[in-house]
Amino acid sequence: MAVTETMDREVGRIIDQRSKSRRVRFLIFLGVMALVVWSVKATIIDDTDWERLITSGNFLESITQFLGIDWALVPNLVSPAIETIMVATLGTLLGVVLCVPAIWFGALNITPFPPITYPIARLMMTLSRSIHEIVWALFFVAAVGLGALAGVLAIAMRSIGFIAKISAEAIEDLDPKPVEAIRAVGGSEFQVFIYAILPQVLPVVIGVTIFEWEINIRRSSILGLVGAGGLGLVFFRQLNTFNYEGVTTVILAILVLILFGEIVSYFVRKAVI
Amino acid sequence: MASATDIRTETPPLREWNRFRFPASLYRWGGVLLALTFLTYSIIYLNIPLERFFTMFGRVGELLADRYYPPEIDYVLEADYLGSVVDTILMAYLGALFGMLLAVPLGWFGSYNMTPSRHFVYPVARLVTMSARAVHETIWAILFVTILGFGMMAGVLALTMFCIGFAGKLFAEEIEAIDMGPVEAIRATGASELSVMAYGVFPQVRVAFTGIGIYTWDVAFRAATVIGFFGAGGMGWYLKRNVLQIETHRVAAILLSIIVLVLVSEAVSAWARARVAKAK
Repeated sequence: MAVTETMDREVGRIIDQRSKSRRVRFLIFLGVMALVVWSVKATIIDDTDWERLITSGNFLESITQFLGIDWALVPNLVSPAIETIMVATLGTLLGVVLCVPAIWFGALNITPFPPITYPIARLMMTLSRSIHEIVWALFFVAAVGLGALAGVLAIAMRSIGFIAKISAEAIEDLDPKPVEAIRAVGGSEFQVFIYAILPQVLPVVIGVTIFEWEINIRRSSILGLVGAGGLGLVFFRQLNTFNYEGVTTVILAILVLILFGEIVSYFVRKAVI
Repeated sequence: MASATDIRTETPPLREWNRFRFPASLYRWGGVLLALTFLTYSIIYLNIPLERFFTMFGRVGELLADRYYPPEIDYVLEADYLGSVVDTILMAYLGALFGMLLAVPLGWFGSYNMTPSRHFVYPVARLVTMSARAVHETIWAILFVTILGFGMMAGVLALTMFCIGFAGKLFAEEIEAIDMGPVEAIRATGASELSVMAYGVFPQVRVAFTGIGIYTWDVAFRAATVIGFFGAGGMGWYLKRNVLQIETHRVAAILLSIIVLVLVSEAVSAWARARVAKAK
């Protein structure tokens, strides 16, 4: 008899728990829905100029403005497109160079003095990743003036975080035996880095650099909006002169550029790794 | 005299085997030379004043000390600005939500193993995700502002496009990595494609999708802080206004507030992702 009693109690407890968790889930669902309704109201219903959108048919008109390609603009896009690619490339290279200290300090197994250098490197990585490229570009335009240099620096700063994070994780996972071997023959910290660590992590670093280069093309194509040259500047000019077909053309050019970047990175990755 | 000891003893021609036709160092140095040429050429082409690069660090320090320090913290604690922060959070929330709702079907159609039709739906879904990803979020914001007018709706739609591109790709990759066993089992019972999706695929990717969803929200918030710069609502507008008015102390305060908010959102998202991964 005692067995059935405990079983009954156990079953009752499970059913109780399930209905409780269902209630909790329902409450969470209600909360999420309320948040959605509130944010739809606050952002979309209250903050939109509905009169402008609906009554005058402005909406369709402003969309049709964008349809079409301004062929006359195409020859003027070649040089900014090359500039965009160059800014992305130089920025990525500079980012890789600046990465080296961040990687060295940020990998827990090789960092020279863990309690201090490790948090510094982690903070550097997080800061670099969390600040948007537009903000970096604004900062560097203020610091070094208008032009491509500001774009290169912004791209470099923005790239550090991702490359350094992935590379530092690769170093933390590496095989410790070569490191010990070089230490055992009396190699200095620097020699340990060159001969034991670098050969192991180089494929990862190259792979992540190519990946970042691809993303950086996308980023450098908009830096012109805040004064750092490239396709973004042409985009900005077309928009400000209300040449909407030109805007479409620039966007298509950006798409072509990104496709080019993806193809190049595919082949480079195949050749190197 | 022909015997077993009469073995030809001449050595084979001395030629080391090599996979390259020329010495490998030639390729390597050629590559380095090419890279250096490109580097020099692009520095000349972009008209980069190198001397400015080396004096930059002093100037940046000077700039920070003179103009941006001290940040006007009071400004970011005003009710107007705090309201715009709330707006930004709502925008990121809605944009990520809409984006993910659209990204789930796109991920399904764009995954090579589960797509309903490999010749038509798959390339279309791939193209949509790729173009949503290729166009930068600020360009989306500018386009929607031009079409819809200033306001947060443009921002929400821009973030939606951004999240479609971001989450759609990750969702598709996640679906491509599933175990096909349960899918075949459910197909064998004669279930429709939708039930296969619901009972064969979804349980396998649920945890990963939740993680990706949280990460998407985090990235969308990062983007939301600046799309206001182009008129799409949120705190970016305050940034633009103060940049144009050269209120540098306020700009410094706004930038600091953005950094702090992004760090907080990153910490929250890392914590939530760790929780989700543990609940697996």
